[in-house]
Amino acid sequence: MGKIKKIFRYDNVGILFVLPAFVYMLIFVGYPIIRNVILSFQDVTAANLVRGDKTFILFDNYRELFADSVFVTSLFNTLRYTVLCLVFQFVIGFLLALFFNQRFSFARPVRGILLVPWMIPVTVTALMFRLLFATDIGVINYILRSLHLIGENIEWLTTPGTAMFALICANVWIGIPFNMILISTGLTTIPKELYESASIDGANKIETFFHITLPLLKPTIESVLILGFIYTFKVYDLVYVMTSGGPVNSTHMLSTYSYKLSFEMFKYSKGSAVANVLLVILLIVGVFYIKATTKGEEEE
Amino acid sequence: MKKKRVISLLAVLAMTIGMLTGCGSSAQTQDGAKPEESGGEAQDSPADASAEAEGNGGEAVTIWYYWETEGHQVALDQVIQEYNASQDTYEVTAKYVPFADFKKQLSIGASADELPDIAILDSPDHASYVEMGIFEDLTGKFDVSSYYEGTVNSCTVDGKLYGIPFGANCLALYYNEDLLTAAGCKVPETWDELMDAAKALTTDSVTGLALCSVQNEEGTFNFVPWLWSTGATSYDINNENGIRALTFIQNLINEGVMSKECINWTQGDVMNQFISGNVAMMENGPWQIPTMQAEAPDLNWKVTLIPKDSQYASVLGGENYAVINGGNVDGALDFLTYATSEEKVKFLMDKFGYISADKMIAENQFEADSPYTPFVEELNYAMPRGPLAEWPGVSDAISLAFNQVITGTATPEDAAAGAQATIDGIVK
Repeated sequence: MGKIKKIFRYDNVGILFVLPAFVYMLIFVGYPIIRNVILSFQDVTAANLVRGDKTFILFDNYRELFADSVFVTSLFNTLRYTVLCLVFQFVIGFLLALFFNQRFSFARPVRGILLVPWMIPVTVTALMFRLLFATDIGVINYILRSLHLIGENIEWLTTPGTAMFALICANVWIGIPFNMILISTGLTTIPKELYESASIDGANKIETFFHITLPLLKPTIESVLILGFIYTFKVYDLVYVMTSGGPVNSTHMLSTYSYKLSFEMFKYSKGSAVANVLLVILLIVGVFYIKATTKGEEEE
Repeated sequence: MKKKRVISLLAVLAMTIGMLTGCGSSAQTQDGAKPEESGGEAQDSPADASAEAEGNGGEAVTIWYYWETEGHQVALDQVIQEYNASQDTYEVTAKYVPFADFKKQLSIGASADELPDIAILDSPDHASYVEMGIFEDLTGKFDVSSYYEGTVNSCTVDGKLYGIPFGANCLALYYNEDLLTAAGCKVPETWDELMDAAKALTTDSVTGLALCSVQNEEGTFNFVPWLWSTGATSYDINNENGIRALTFIQNLINEGVMSKECINWTQGDVMNQFISGNVAMMENGPWQIPTMQAEAPDLNWKVTLIPKDSQYASVLGGENYAVINGGNVDGALDFLTYATSEEKVKFLMDKFGYISADKMIAENQFEADSPYTPFVEELNYAMPRGPLAEWPGVSDAISLAFNQVITGTATPEDAAAGAQATIDGIVK
């Protein structure tokens, strides 16, 4: 009797509530991850995918990957792409949020319209930007030529450096509304009284921004940046449609290279090793996210 | 505190995975949506409906294929429908899987034991799946003696037959006759003549030549005729011949007679540029002909052999039927016997714009003035890619080398050396 009571103590009942979700996660999230880690330690190709002889080669896949120039490029590309996208999305999104936080007519409807890029399917956006950046028929070259900024058409998507630039442009365009809306929401939680008392104390706009807006927005900013990082880091569809990792492998990301290794070249184990590198990086960022958000809760 | 940390970690895990799989599942819905758009007709296949109506009720035989062209799907379904009506032991159904996902689906299906009974797949991939051990040995079960040697080779591994060629195609050179006449050029037969013609044809709004140069199997398909024409092979590139092929393509770009944009053009895109009059000559296959005739009936174009360096060369394309082992093998064989009969092959080839893999049928398939006739001639010079289980790796090295010279990121010498190093690592 006492034992049963003990099991149904308040805390333990809580665990029972969590249990179904935990079991679900274990089967549908835990199992694939473990399976993928095992796969990356084996040597599975077209030859032994179905037959049983899968030899364990432990870290050989990872060792070979770090010697593979395309992998190193895609790792570096993914980081560069993520950081640059985040910086531009965040700064422009923040400025727009501040702008639309002012009271003026049409502020709300226009802010709504600005959400459109976030709502369009990424494949559509990618096709659109592919056409915009086309060399001979692209609108961007046309405008630049009309303004006499360039003499000859720029080969955006067929030159390694500029292809990455085009990808970043497309993703910044998609990401701005996401940043803007989350920061706007954060702004509305800051009590108006603080600004009123600050202005009575004689603080100017810039001082109120750095001493009231920014500190109070800190939790929001942390969430926006970390979620943005995770979202941007695992980019696949945009790159696949716009450049497919080309020209000459210069825009491969970890995700697209993993796909290529697994499903175009039948190197399943190497592909899963790339996916695991991606996962580990995202897990590290995820830990920061949990730390940032739980700290905020504890303070409250 | 410790507990909390564990829970946090689990939450992180859940969140990241959720996001990763979120990406995966959205890709899947796209895949799911695609057949409804492009292959809707085939999905609600008339074969299904009629079979139900007649109550055929035989053992199920499933086919996977990747043709997105509606005409292809309708033709295949008609053959299936007739087959289902002709007997009641087996009931055949076909499923469309998009080309981009076909390899993925077969790989996943192989490891999950969820495969069709018949797969109609791209011929260069055939050897890889034989290696995987999912195809039935068909040696002695079908008479392929009158088939083109290259097509039979593409499904033969270690002297055993693991498939039946569905149809054959190859690449040839299309030219816009009006533009050619206006520029005063004759039909090019050698590389030099091709270069001269391309230069003469290039104006402000027209580029002389286009060929699909994307960095994947489709690009390789379009590059190898140039490589092989010099006498180089797919496995031996870092020599005078291989470098000459790379240099020729690079010169086309440098002279401005071929657009760099070709690295983003699929064969369909190249065809669209050609029928819009933006391109005067293109390398392409016979399957474009029905579309070209429908979309640009007034365009005056002709087809000729791909100009040669030291010998004529083209690349063999097309699909093979393969029977999956462990499935309904008897049913699959029965259907294939039906579908490879002369009458059915003729019907399918005509509807597809393909050339029969059976030489006997192919030689009488077209009238002398048909645009398909040059392709039948070109087929004599066409060689298959591979067959080699590791072909995808070799293919990647070849398409990378050509993309490097097109984008100017490597000299022909360096590109050839790089490709050779990769290939040597694969084919020891």
